[in-house]
Formats: sequence, C-alpha cells, structure tokens
Amino acid sequence: MPLYEGIGLTEKQAVVIDIGAAYTKFGFAGESGPRCIVRTEIKCPETKQVKKVLNYSSEEELYDLLVEFIHVLYFRHLLVSPKDRRVVIVESLLCPTAFRETLAKVLFRHFEVSSILFVPSHLVSLCTLGVNTALVLDVGYVEAILIPVFEGVPVLHAWQAQPRAAEAVQSSLKASLLNINSEKEDFPESTIEDIKVRTCFVTSLTRATQLEAVDQPPDVVYREGGSEIVHIPGKVRETVYEVLFEQDNDQMSVSTMILDAIIKCPIDMRKPLAENILVIGGTAMAPGFKARLLDELKHLLQQPKYASRLALKTFKFHKPPAKENYVAWLGGAIFGGTDMISTRSLTKEAYVKHSSLPDWADLSYNCREEDKISL
Amino acid sequence: MAFLLQPDIVRYNCTCGSLKPISRIYFCRHCLKIRCGYCVCHEVDSHYCANCLENLPSSEARLKKNRCAACLDCPSCLNTVSTRSTNISTQNPDDPNKTVTRKAYYLACGFCRWTSRDVGLPDQTVATGGWPERENVHAARISSLLEHYKVLALRERQEKERKKFIPRRSYLHFSDKFGLTAMMARKRAGLPTLGGVGIKDETGSIPDIIPSEAVEEVDSLPADIYIKPVDLAQVTTLSQRLAQPEFQPELVSDLFPAHKHLMIKRSQRCRSCEHNVSKPEYNPGSIKFKIQLAAYYHVPEIRIVTCELLRIGQESQLIIRLCNPTQHQTVIQFLPLPSAEEDLEEREKEIEEKKKKQAEKKDAEKTSQGRDDVSILLPSLSRQTSISEDPRPVNVKLTGDVILPSSSVVLPPRDDAAEYDDSGETYHFQDDPKVVMWRKANKAAVKIAVVPLDSATEAGHVLVGFVMKYTYVNTMATLDQKEPQKVDLKVKVFINAGKTVGACT
Repeated sequence: MPLYEGIGLTEKQAVVIDIGAAYTKFGFAGESGPRCIVRTEIKCPETKQVKKVLNYSSEEELYDLLVEFIHVLYFRHLLVSPKDRRVVIVESLLCPTAFRETLAKVLFRHFEVSSILFVPSHLVSLCTLGVNTALVLDVGYVEAILIPVFEGVPVLHAWQAQPRAAEAVQSSLKASLLNINSEKEDFPESTIEDIKVRTCFVTSLTRATQLEAVDQPPDVVYREGGSEIVHIPGKVRETVYEVLFEQDNDQMSVSTMILDAIIKCPIDMRKPLAENILVIGGTAMAPGFKARLLDELKHLLQQPKYASRLALKTFKFHKPPAKENYVAWLGGAIFGGTDMISTRSLTKEAYVKHSSLPDWADLSYNCREEDKISL
Repeated sequence: MAFLLQPDIVRYNCTCGSLKPISRIYFCRHCLKIRCGYCVCHEVDSHYCANCLENLPSSEARLKKNRCAACLDCPSCLNTVSTRSTNISTQNPDDPNKTVTRKAYYLACGFCRWTSRDVGLPDQTVATGGWPERENVHAARISSLLEHYKVLALRERQEKERKKFIPRRSYLHFSDKFGLTAMMARKRAGLPTLGGVGIKDETGSIPDIIPSEAVEEVDSLPADIYIKPVDLAQVTTLSQRLAQPEFQPELVSDLFPAHKHLMIKRSQRCRSCEHNVSKPEYNPGSIKFKIQLAAYYHVPEIRIVTCELLRIGQESQLIIRLCNPTQHQTVIQFLPLPSAEEDLEEREKEIEEKKKKQAEKKDAEKTSQGRDDVSILLPSLSRQTSISEDPRPVNVKLTGDVILPSSSVVLPPRDDAAEYDDSGETYHFQDDPKVVMWRKANKAAVKIAVVPLDSATEAGHVLVGFVMKYTYVNTMATLDQKEPQKVDLKVKVFINAGKTVGACT
C-alpha cells in the first residue's frame, strides 16, 4: 500500500525522462537502464488521432499533448504517483525555450512534482564513462548535434548541428522504395523504420566511393503487414545511410561536423577531444556506422581542407556501458542518483516564487556573481 | 448504456473547463463541484498482475521492478506465454537398460508459436519458475560509477556548506578578547581545530574508478554482410528490441522471455479538498469501488428524446428527458449561458477562491510547524505548497440559439421500486403542459426550442448550450453542520442537436 512508500525516512526514487523526437526514455534514477523506451506520440484528446508530441502547433496544444503523454508514462509504464516526486529531465542544450517551459508547467502544475532538475544530455553522457573530456555527437531522429565537453564544461561556441539523422535516412529510403515499387502509393512511417532497422546498414568507405562498380548485396523480400510484398534491392539497403556522409553544397556531413568542431576549439583541446569521441543516439546503432565514421575521419584528414589545419593522427572512440539510444538517459540516471538532485534542482517553491525557468542562455542565471553586480 | 452515454451528444462543463459526457465526470460531494479525469489528482493505489490477478504491495512491486514473479511474456509477440509439459524419457542412472519417463516443462506462446526451446533454454523440472534471469552485463560498472559520483556530489555539497561557516576576517581582532588565540594559532599553523564541532570530513576518499578508455578500433561490419542473404524471420523488429531496453537483442535467437509488467488500480482525489472521488477495492478481481462519486449518481442527467428537423433560422422543438438520480426531490431551472464577461468574472472568482484556500493552508502549516519540528526533519510529512492549474474557458462555438422554458421542473426522488410499478401514477406537480411533455417516476420530458444559426452549415451540426440550475441536498456531515443542507447548483450543458436539413446544398 502506498502508505509505506517514502514515509520521510527514505526519499522517493526520482524519475528520469529523456524526451526524444522519436522515442522517449523513461525510468528511475540510479538504475542501470530505462524502464521503457516508447514512441513520443500520443492520441490527441480532441481529434482522436495519434500524434507526435513534438509536432505541436501551439503551446496550448503542446500542453495538452504532454499532459496525456506523461500521464501514460507514469501510470502505464512506471506505475508510480507523480505527485511530490522529483524529476530529472535530460534535455539538449538546444532545446526550444517554449518546449522546456511548457514541460515544466505541465510537471509542476498538472502533475505537482516536487522538483525538476534539467541536465544537458551531452554533458551527462560523460557520467557513463567516468571521464571529463569528450567530444559528444548525438545522432538522433531529427538532427545530429555535436557539443565538445572539455574538463566538464561544454564548449558551446564549437557546437555543430545538421539535419542528418534518422529522419533524413528514412525519407531517402521511402523515396527510393516508392521509386522501385511503383504500384505503392505510400509507406507508413513505421514500415519504413522497420525496413531500415532490419535490413539496411552503413557500407564501408571503400565501397561507397565506387558504388556503381561493386557487386550488390542480396535483395530482400519484405512482407508488409504479412501479405503485401515489397522488394528491397540490395543497393537500397547499402546506400540509404549515405545521406549522412555525403557532403552537401557547403561541404558538410556528419564526419565534417567532428573536424569542424575540433578546429573551432583552442589548440590545446584538440588532441584530447579527438582521442575521446563519444557517439550516442539511436541512429548510431546502425551496423557499420562507427566504422564508417572513423574511416571518413581518417580520409578527411588527408584532404587539403583539413590537412593544413589539423595535425591529428588518431581518433579514439569510447564504448559506453549501455546501448547508444539510452546513453544520455543513463547519464541522467547516474547524475540524478546522487546528492545533486537535492542541491541543484529547481523546487516547486522556487518555481512559484520566480515563475520562470533557469536557462543557460539567460544572463540573469548564467553569469558569475561579480559580473551580476555590474549588470 | 455505453452506447447511450459514450457519444458526445450531451456534454457537461467541468469546473476545469473541459466538456465531458456525464459518464466521464465526477461530483465531489465535499466541495459540491464537478470534477473530471483531467482536474483530479491520480494516484497509484495497488499493483496487480493482469494475468494471474495477484495483488502486490507497492514495496514489493518496486523491488521486483513492477514485474510479476510468476508470469512471463513472449519476447516475440509480447503476449503471455504458457507453460507446457511433456514427457521425456531418460536412462535410469541405476539400471542403464531401463528408461524412466519424467515430466519436463517448457514455455510456449499460443499466439506466435514461439517456444523456449527455440532459443535453447533448457527445460525445467518444475512447472513454476526457475527460468534463468538475465543480468545487464554493465550493471557492476554502472553501480561503481554511481558510487563514485555519489561521493563526489556529497563532497561538493559539504564544501558548499563549509563555505557558509567561514568567519569573516573583520572579526578576527576580537579573537584575543575572547581567548581564541590558541585556536587561531592552531589554524594558522594548519593544524586541525580542537573539538568535534564543525564539519568533519565524513566522506573519506573518493572510490577510485577506472575512467573509460577510448579505443581506436570500432565494431566493423561483419565481413559476410555483402553476400549473405537476409532472413527477416531471424532479425528482431524494433518493438521486440525496445520491449527489453537493456538488452535490445538483434537476432531472434537472443530473445528471452521477460516477466510480465504489472498494472495498477488508480484512485482519484479532488485537488481542492483532497477527498477521494474514486477509490477502487484492493482486490484485483473486484470491479467495485470503495468510493465512487460519479456525477451520474448526483447530477440530473439529460438525454435527447427527439428533435424536429433543424432548419437554419427556424424554430424547431427539441425534447430532452431529465432524470433525477438522487434520493431527494430536485427542482430544475433553465438559464441562458452567461456572457463572456460574466464567464471571465466567474473564473477569476474561482481562482481567487483557490488562492484564499491555499493561503489558509499555508497559515495552518506555519502554525503546525511552530508546534513541532517534524516537518523540518521529515519534509515529506509536511504538505507541500500546492499549485494547480487555473480553470480554462470553454472552447466551443455555439451554432444555435435556444429558447428555454421559463418555469421550473420538479423531479421526485429516485425510487427503484417504481420501475416495476405499473399502477396508474398520479403526480401532484403543477406542470405547465407547454413545458413538460410526460412524466414517469423520477424522469420528465421537457420541451426546448432550438434555432440553428447560419454558422451551423459550416460546423456541420447545431450546438446549443444553457445553464441547468438544480437543487442538491448535501448530506455530507461536516463539523459546522450536521443537518442535510439544500443548495442550488449550476452546471453548463452543451447539446449537439444534430445536422441541419438542406445544409448540403
């Protein structure tokens, strides 16, 4: 019975939530894995249509969607009362202000949580490694975001973001499948995702440079819904992930993001960053992704654009003790499992008093004491 | 019943501003207000397994990570697996020439034909349990990381607190006066201060962890990926992978059964008076409630009987049936909807009232804090400041005018026996025949005139609204009053009268 739980002697276990564009990771602080990874979508209370939470048109709509979505998370998956329980939110540093403010409002006003701790996903991912310096590349659904972290401080001016992630891969896969299976009009997003996860892979750099010449990998016959047959040529399986690595008109790709970020960093940081690369996010789980990334980096170093500016020889990758898609969540769970949750959280009282949310981009929160006086 | 109440034809306006059919709203008998699923506080009441219907106390459920100890899920189709038994014959260890048959148990899914033999799980000799549990391979590493950061965080906290206790330098000259020189001398010499007061370094040393070592080699593609045909039946789908977040197996041969996730019974609490509006019985097999303050038992119910053809700009008759569900006689009156300004005023009044209540609560808390310090020691025992959502405006567009009956309608109390009483009913109510069509027991049919507006063509239906004022007998005994009290309550009702005729052109 709920009476026994946290009768003051032990504090209630905090919950950790990482709302991603495609999937939300949700679980308890101090545990080794999330309790659930679910799609960030919910049946809209008005139109009764399943809708992605992040496809909101107004803050009011987002508020309603978040209320429904978080209600399901608590009562279907975690099975605890949200009231008077602490929350750790793992968020990107580039998270829109409107979203985080609405999320805080939902949690404080509707679910009456006792405190919220916002942690930046790139920074806390380092908690899973036990290191202080790493170049963190998060390849998620909508975009790939890179923020180097040096001695525990995110190097913000070197940040990189590119819309090259799962969404780009899936739209390229959909386009080529529709091209081949001309009798089909459209594929549902879930089918495309399933085909991508189960059949596609990231090919090696040597093959990618001569895609026309090499022998194609075997074709796959995919049964959509168990009956309809979709032909997936081997070439499509091999090439869908190329959107991530092809350089666009600005000569940007996922691999140049890493080198560009290193160039933007001071010279003393460059070697440690290049030797501490951490790749997180669900898209990084694609077979061959990291091998390709490493090859690309080595190849790009030979190019005149970078050869003259970078004297790096090696790139080293970290292996976090978790699957890539929940590394950031795990970092939040480790961080939230410590005393930090009581010293650094935004309490309900503070939220009511100031009725605003601390944000790193806001100078009234993010500057040193002595600077504050001059401001 | 479900058919009659489910469609959103007649919707009541909840105090929070949402519109719901009467089957979806509560009536708090303590604040005498309508509440709905959106504006009550949901709480987890009891955990149970949906398969074996076993009730688990919440502490045990937490220990078992919200999973049933006995029931297992199929990793392939996520339905419950069942245990099957077979007879297997083995050699008798005493006499090699003879064989003995014994029972062996394995798991099988009745939906997708997955069995535990598919993945090489050995058969069990007992029917219940004993299936090997999988551990996260990184669990030890993660817990050592957690320990490390815990000590780091504790240290940071202590340093922060220590800073608060550093005496200000300007007071140092007082030290001689109060005989503190010896202590200062020790401090200057860098020796630890005498006495046990102050903060001791309790944290000890930070447990060493080996920081993760970055490597130059990464997982490369399997060499045969370019030539090996893919057997989709052997590759897991994303939902199968995400059902086990810590393992996320990629091949069907790595799928292991997972314990069944528990479900909960919820209780609902009114946010303003903190009384339960709904509380289920603990027994998972029971569908009854200990407390169920559904509006269906307290607020007069409205149903549409018939409606004349609706033409834009023309008056047509809408007949609604009122039903009194309470044990007391009620008087129902119809009023037009308040204007936008009045509405706003009302909502502001509501917010004001809420604030006043909170201030009272805070005061009460302060006095109790003065009395004993239990709330300081155990912060979770004291009630936290409560901030809740403000009521919202109703977000609908009316597409029809309504002409309401001026006289009130009296409804007799509910009498379950009257249902079976066929004898001629005589009523002593002075009904206006223009208003009341017919009566039966606690029900009455009432005429209302509806005039669809031009906007009804666009919206596709005629939506009308009015305020229903009804008398309610409050039988809740409180400290101030023991006697049942008669109160007048109001609720806004919105009726969807249907489509207009000739609107298709």
